[in-house]
Amino acid sequence: MWGSFFRMGFRILVRQRKYFLLNLVGLSIGIVAFVFIYLYVENALYYDRSWKNYPHIFRVNETYSTGGKEENMALTPYLLSNKLKDNFPGIIESTRLFFTDPSDKNDVSSVNFQGKMYDIPNLTIGDARIFKIFNYRFTEGNPDSCLLKPNSMVISVAMKQKIFGKNFALGEKLKTSIRTYTVTGVFDRKNRPSHLDFDAVISTNSLDKLEQKQLNTNWFWMNCYTYIELADSVDAGNLMRRINYLTDTAIGHYIKKQNFKIGGYIHLSLQPIQDIHFSQELLYDSHSNINITYLYIFIIVAFFILLMASINYVNFATARSLKRAREIGVRKVIGAFRKQLMVQFISESLIITFSAFILSLSLVELMIPAFNNLVNRQITLVDSLFSGSGLVFGFLLIAFMLLLALFSGSFPAFVISSLEPVEVLGGRGVVFKGKKPYSFTAIGLRKFLVVIQYFVAIGVITSTFIIFAQIHYVKNLPLGFVKKNIVVVNRPADTSFRGRVKGFVEALKSDSAIEQVATASNLPGYLIGKLLLRTGDSSSAHLQTMNGFFVGYHYFDVLKIPFVAGKDFSSFKKNDSTEYFILNQTAVKSLRLEHPLGSFLYTPSAKKGLVVGVVKDFKFSSLHQKVEPLVFVLSPHFVQYVVLRINPAKRHEALSHLQTVWGKFNKGYTLYYTFLDNKLDSLYRSDQKMLSLFSYFSLFVLLISALGLFGLSSFLIEQRTREISIRKVLGGSEKQIVLMLVKEYVALVLVAGILVSPVVYFFTKKWLSSFAYHIHLNVCYFVAGIGLVLLIAFVTVLLQALFMVRKRLAEALKYE
Amino acid sequence: MIETKQLKKVFRSSDIETVALAGINLRVEEGEFVSVMGPSGCGKTTLLNLLGMIDTATSGNYRFMGKDVFQLSEKQITRMRKQNIGFVFQNFNLIEELSILENIELPLIYQGVKKSERKKRVMEVIDRLEITHRKDLLPVQLSGGQQQRVAVARAIVTCPRLLLADEPTGNLDSMHGEEVMNILDELNKEGMTIVMVTHSHHDASYSRRIVHLFDGQIINENLNRI
Repeated sequence: MWGSFFRMGFRILVRQRKYFLLNLVGLSIGIVAFVFIYLYVENALYYDRSWKNYPHIFRVNETYSTGGKEENMALTPYLLSNKLKDNFPGIIESTRLFFTDPSDKNDVSSVNFQGKMYDIPNLTIGDARIFKIFNYRFTEGNPDSCLLKPNSMVISVAMKQKIFGKNFALGEKLKTSIRTYTVTGVFDRKNRPSHLDFDAVISTNSLDKLEQKQLNTNWFWMNCYTYIELADSVDAGNLMRRINYLTDTAIGHYIKKQNFKIGGYIHLSLQPIQDIHFSQELLYDSHSNINITYLYIFIIVAFFILLMASINYVNFATARSLKRAREIGVRKVIGAFRKQLMVQFISESLIITFSAFILSLSLVELMIPAFNNLVNRQITLVDSLFSGSGLVFGFLLIAFMLLLALFSGSFPAFVISSLEPVEVLGGRGVVFKGKKPYSFTAIGLRKFLVVIQYFVAIGVITSTFIIFAQIHYVKNLPLGFVKKNIVVVNRPADTSFRGRVKGFVEALKSDSAIEQVATASNLPGYLIGKLLLRTGDSSSAHLQTMNGFFVGYHYFDVLKIPFVAGKDFSSFKKNDSTEYFILNQTAVKSLRLEHPLGSFLYTPSAKKGLVVGVVKDFKFSSLHQKVEPLVFVLSPHFVQYVVLRINPAKRHEALSHLQTVWGKFNKGYTLYYTFLDNKLDSLYRSDQKMLSLFSYFSLFVLLISALGLFGLSSFLIEQRTREISIRKVLGGSEKQIVLMLVKEYVALVLVAGILVSPVVYFFTKKWLSSFAYHIHLNVCYFVAGIGLVLLIAFVTVLLQALFMVRKRLAEALKYE
Repeated sequence: MIETKQLKKVFRSSDIETVALAGINLRVEEGEFVSVMGPSGCGKTTLLNLLGMIDTATSGNYRFMGKDVFQLSEKQITRMRKQNIGFVFQNFNLIEELSILENIELPLIYQGVKKSERKKRVMEVIDRLEITHRKDLLPVQLSGGQQQRVAVARAIVTCPRLLLADEPTGNLDSMHGEEVMNILDELNKEGMTIVMVTHSHHDASYSRRIVHLFDGQIINENLNRI
């Protein structure tokens, strides 16, 4: 029986192409969006859960305070890893990875192989035990021994392919400007989603002996991530207390030995490795971390999209089934049993859902590279859907499709197949005559479902508007300094550059296309140094952690940072006995200085510094935070960056001059430079990503809801063809009739808009409050959201209505 | 009032051409009551649709009240139709969602008649057709005969000069049919021009003239005995 019904179903669907296509497209879009969001969420939840012993792997984080604000960060001192391993037998393995800022490039991060340069985006330094905890699959080399020797380098499969193509990499030499590394291993990142996203690791033994010795004694040099793996029996909470006891004692000794005059505290904590991906509060944490709220929002949106697609499907099915009442009547008269009719409807429904299922999975497979690009992940459909936990999802999806097919097929199957043939064949052509209550619920249900759709559509679109406005606002907020046309040049990895820097700067200035040049170690949007300062030289004076910018001459001139008091560093010469400081206004307030100019500040090692100027507050870090206290320290020899302000009209000339001068002063080193505004924009990359994802969501949602309304209104208006014709015959103008049809849908959109606005208000307000500087919500965003949806609904229905109204009158009035 | 010359209507589907009307020459004078008879499929309804300007002819000439209909714009046709022509259909064509009163009122709304005036005129026709006590019901709640009375009421509420009736008694039993015919007769006597398509010789006997159609052509016209 089923076979012949499927055959019949196919034929009916071929004949009713419009219905079939609407359903197929609507459902497929819904499933595609749902599957993508699922893949993203699954991938995010799977972060750092693929390590063989992940429930027992922890990262050691640090909280410290030296008066004033408490800071939390993911970094710990280099020596911690060994100290922990040596003192606690419950720790099976411990390892450390150097913190590197992937955005901060210089020669060390690119390697030379057979005369060609290759950039390694994320290069770090680690010890031999990394791969004991993080069990990457090795395609070449031995994970246990690969990082033992000095100048060893382990690279990812992607890097290997980039540099060596199909050839083996093991034993090959890679040169940087200062060193030659030997490739000792190739690891595969596939199926290991992790907050660790290094492309290559250099062995810690490559560091020179003196540096290693310093690192092994200094407790205040936080530059490593420390990871530990615990034995099964060890309780992490208990261990943490013992670790803190050990470190407190050790740091106490260290402070005494170094003769530091500081108070405050350091506290270590253990963070389960699988929690890292969602952690947001720590400084120097992984760039790939995401806010888990976004994840929740995505899940909600995914379900809404699927819900909307299902609603469309059910709506189409019910609306169309009314049209088929006559066919059912005929079938019944010629002897169909109800059961047979039900089988027929459900088989049609199955054909549609499974076509949509296959179509959407093919689409997902096709679009997945673009998607990966968008969200910066390496997700594959096969790995996520047809293995492990994905298998469950695959089954659930199939079960859902079945359910949807049954549900949407059952309306016509149960309701219409129960109609008496005489009712539908009575020649009156209207189905639910005499069954008003029922027919009312069918219309009511459809209206309710349409309202839900518009609820979601308006919600998502309004939110997108608000997110867009906020990001636009943040990007264009006056920062208090000039960010346009500022070129930041990274210094070469060569230590002798210090001696050449003066000449380099002078040579750069020789071209008029370059307006001003300064040296610095810190810039807005880049890493910020920390500095301990107190207002008096006795240990009782107030001590405070400050953000520190170490800068050379002309810095304020290049960035055009205005002064409120005093002057810049130009008339001061760096000497050994005195430092020179410039403060921002917030620092003056937080240090409680009444007359900042001429006052002295002291470092813990009792070195004093003279305050020579106060600058106006400017926004030097992400606008998620308010402006913090900041102190500039004159340090013309401590150069990380050379900063240029160029004449925008002569941009090309300036850059080529830079290239020439660089070549003259730094032969053999590669020039790396960035525009400051690009770097600043990258502070909002995760917000930007959120925005682009949201834009796609709203596109999907809009498409589905427009499709839904298009389909539904076309079926409903089609049913009213006769009524429309009668009205025309009675003298109704096209305009009057079209308006009548459109009005009903417009009302639904308005209802949905009024219902959803408070919900959007609540959530976006929460999101906005994560920015220290944000837009204020006003009614415009909501009106715009409702307006856009209204417009789309209006156009959709209008097209349908116009088409219907223009139909030949005599045709529609023909007796059926 | 009506004058057609060589009025032709051809229906084309992808590969078949069907000639519905093959050159009709017809004159209807003001105040006449004309019946159009003929077997099924001979083009009666098509002719009525053309006369009522709800369909367009393939070729030929049609003058309505002295105006060449084919020269008029869509808008002018709509205006002419809504001011001068009323329709009564075999299957009533009432709007299911509207009450009897609202159905009858609709053409007046479309003509832009003021509310108070509308009310007055609707009540007049409702009284006249004796459906006052049912005015708030929906069409489905009425019998066929009652529905057709409503349809007639709706057709004449605008006081059209021409009433086109397409088998007005086709879906009614003889008693209700008789009632409807009496109404039409009365309207005609008051001066309304009526063109009616019918199968029934009895109904046709109410008219003054009968036009016989066969395969899209007029085969004879005869004046009824009075």
